[in-house]
Amino acid sequence: MSTELIIFSVLAVVVLASAYKVVTARLITHAALFLVLSFTGVAGIYLQMHQEFLAAIQVLVYVGAITTMILFAIMLSEIRDIKMEVETRRTGLRYVVRRSAPFAFVVGAVFAAFMTYLFGVAGWDQPVGAALPYQVQAVGKELFTTFVVPFEVASILLLAAMIGAIVLTAREEADR
Amino acid sequence: MIPLYMPLSLGAFLFGLGLWGALTRTNAVRILMFIELMLNGVNLNLVSFSRYLTPDDPRGPIFVLFVMTVAAAEAAVGLAIILSLVRNRGTVEVDRVNLLKG
Repeated sequence: MSTELIIFSVLAVVVLASAYKVVTARLITHAALFLVLSFTGVAGIYLQMHQEFLAAIQVLVYVGAITTMILFAIMLSEIRDIKMEVETRRTGLRYVVRRSAPFAFVVGAVFAAFMTYLFGVAGWDQPVGAALPYQVQAVGKELFTTFVVPFEVASILLLAAMIGAIVLTAREEADR
Repeated sequence: MIPLYMPLSLGAFLFGLGLWGALTRTNAVRILMFIELMLNGVNLNLVSFSRYLTPDDPRGPIFVLFVMTVAAAEAAVGLAIILSLVRNRGTVEVDRVNLLKG
C-alpha cells in the first residue's frame, strides 16, 4: 500500500513537473523533449495499474510516433521561419506569466481543482478491482470479434490521415 | 491499491496544465503539443475508471486504444497543416494567421 503510493507520487511528480516545463520551456525543442518525459511517466502509471498493453501502446504511439513527428515539424518549420528566433527569445516564464498567462492559468487551475474536488466527494474510494485485471489475450479477442468494425474504421481513419498528410505536405513538390 | 481519486486528479491536473499552455502560447506546434497533453490526461481518466470500476473488462483499454488512434491521426494532419502554413505564410504563430479576420 505504502510502496504503491510512493511509486505513484514519484511518477505523478515527474509527469506534472515535465508538463509544467512543456508550458514554460524557452525553447520549443526542450518543450518537445519534456513532453516525451511526461508521456513516459504516464506510461509508468499505466504499468502501475497493470495495464501493460496500454503502457506499450503509449510508448509506441506517443513517445515513439507523435513526439518524433512533432520534432520533425519543429525542425522543418524552424528552417523557414525567420521570426522563430525572435519569438523564442521572449517566451521565458516571466514573459508567459506577464503577458496573458494569469487568466489562462486561473482557468486551468480552477478546472483542475474543481475536478479534484468532484473526484474527492464522489465516493469512489473503494477500489473494486483488487484482483488482477484482464489479460492481453482478452483484449485481442474482443478487438477482433466484437469490435472488428470499429477496428477497421480506425484503420481507414489512419489511412485517410496518412494520405491527407502526404497531400498537404507534398503539394509544393507536385507544383514544381 | 491507491484511492481512485488520485490518478483521476493527476489526469485533471495534466488537462489543466495543457489548457493553460494552449490558452497562453501562440506557436501552432506548441498548441498541438498541449492538445496531446490534454488527451493524455483524458486517457488517464479513462484508464483509471476502467481499472478500478470494471477491472476484468477489456472494453476500457479498447476504448483508450481508439482514442489514441484518433490522437495520432489528428497529430499527423495537424502537423501537415502547420507545415503547409509555414510554406505558404512563413509563420507558425497563430496570431499572424488572420487571413479570415474581418
